[in-house]
Amino acid sequence: MPKSVVDAHRLVGPVPFDDLPPDPRDDMDRLGIDRACVTHTLSLYSDPGAGNEALLALADPRLIPVPVVVPGVPGAGEPETPEEARSWGVRMVRLCPERHRFDLTGPVASRWLAALGLPIAIDLDETSPAQLLRLAERLPAQRILLLNPGYRALRAVAELMAEAPNVWTEIGTVNTQGGVEWLAARFGARRLVFGTGAPVADDCGPRFLLDHLDLPPDDVDRIAAGSLERLL
Amino acid sequence: MILDAHGHVGTWPDFLIPAPTAEHLVAAMDRIGVTAMGISHLLAVGPDAVRGNELAMEIAARFPGRFGVWQVYNPHHRTPLARDGVWGVKLHPDVHQCRLDDPLYEPVWELGLPVLAHGQTDSPWSDPARFAAVAARHPHVRLLMGHTGLWPYGFARAARLVADHPNVYLETCGSKMTGRWIARLAATAGAERVLFGSDACFLDLRTGYGRVALAPISDADRALIQGRNLTRLLGPNAPPPPTHASAPTPDTPPPAPASAPMPRTPPPAPAPTLSRPPASPPPP
Repeated sequence: MPKSVVDAHRLVGPVPFDDLPPDPRDDMDRLGIDRACVTHTLSLYSDPGAGNEALLALADPRLIPVPVVVPGVPGAGEPETPEEARSWGVRMVRLCPERHRFDLTGPVASRWLAALGLPIAIDLDETSPAQLLRLAERLPAQRILLLNPGYRALRAVAELMAEAPNVWTEIGTVNTQGGVEWLAARFGARRLVFGTGAPVADDCGPRFLLDHLDLPPDDVDRIAAGSLERLL
Repeated sequence: MILDAHGHVGTWPDFLIPAPTAEHLVAAMDRIGVTAMGISHLLAVGPDAVRGNELAMEIAARFPGRFGVWQVYNPHHRTPLARDGVWGVKLHPDVHQCRLDDPLYEPVWELGLPVLAHGQTDSPWSDPARFAAVAARHPHVRLLMGHTGLWPYGFARAARLVADHPNVYLETCGSKMTGRWIARLAATAGAERVLFGSDACFLDLRTGYGRVALAPISDADRALIQGRNLTRLLGPNAPPPPTHASAPTPDTPPPAPASAPMPRTPPPAPAPTLSRPPASPPPP
């Protein structure tokens, strides 16, 4: 069993397409998850600014806020400037280039990310391995947490991790047989992060998997919490 | 006893499966306390059902008591079917591009063994409504709806569509399934209609079983879902329970990691008997 478990990918708030618990803490208690990086659903399914405001008001040390940033020219960004985002004092931000229709590798996003100097979390459904590789080449110091990589793109994700050393991968959806151990053998547990995407995605299976990985205890501890701490 | 209703061995063209072998599956089963898994070989799901079924039978013989065989029936190739030594028949209407209620499947329903079929909401081949149609036409056939419709927006509808067909069971593997949805299905359809399946090696056995092990359900419901329902459904073809004193039982909490394989009592190896279906499909 890992010493500490931090879920790198959870949501707070209601979703429009299901009746899911808006507060993750009961499920975290039940499943033995000590802390979680959380994004507010309003930021994904409504107004990014309103979601960030609700998120930053939570003030619970178990919930690590990951607000959504939308890079844009004046009048199109959220918040207005990257400096305003820096003033939040958060440790990671989330980008949704597909949902919010901005160019992840365009000049504006590049300037914002350089000014932010923070790790970014991006769902693979919001981008592509090729686009992330281009971003990593343009901003080699940029730390990227790839959320929801799934299992069908394992070859492409592996190529991205091989070429971009500042990419970390969330394991919750790497659920083809032995997929997590396969990635750990190639890139090390230091680049794998426990995360679930709950409550939209499943948290029971990934939490059980974490306790039953065929890896040394130190590597399991890294995936459970240590790798994320290093990323942040 | 934990039984996995839905497993595979082999590779698949769409993506990389890092651990596609029976040996790896047995190690994973031992690690979490799964007694036996029903498998079809992915070669059989794909282009060669005959050879793939032979490979599955060879695997089951090599690991006595650990694998049951879902022999694949390809409706275009009229695959010969065994009556004995198997758990039943596996259908994949989407890969074979043949609707589940197509008359080409008549030899399968006539066989009378349990049938595990891929079920995918809104698929023209395997939408849950086709399970309801088949179940009404063949109420004696024990029919497992693989994936319970596959997509979360279809899980509740799938359960509703077959609510009045007690011969249909909801099998829960799939990358979009959640522990919460397993609890919802148990509450709405009844835990006695829900079956644990993992889709390993296509998916990871541990993730699949974890959804059942940690689902917010009672221990009694968990026992039904993770083994008792399938034991009842398979009848005399169900695998024997493990004999080791420390082996998990249906009423124990989720098992802790176990690195040592648990000894098992091998069942007698039945000789498969084959019944060849007619060369031409029955009339619609």
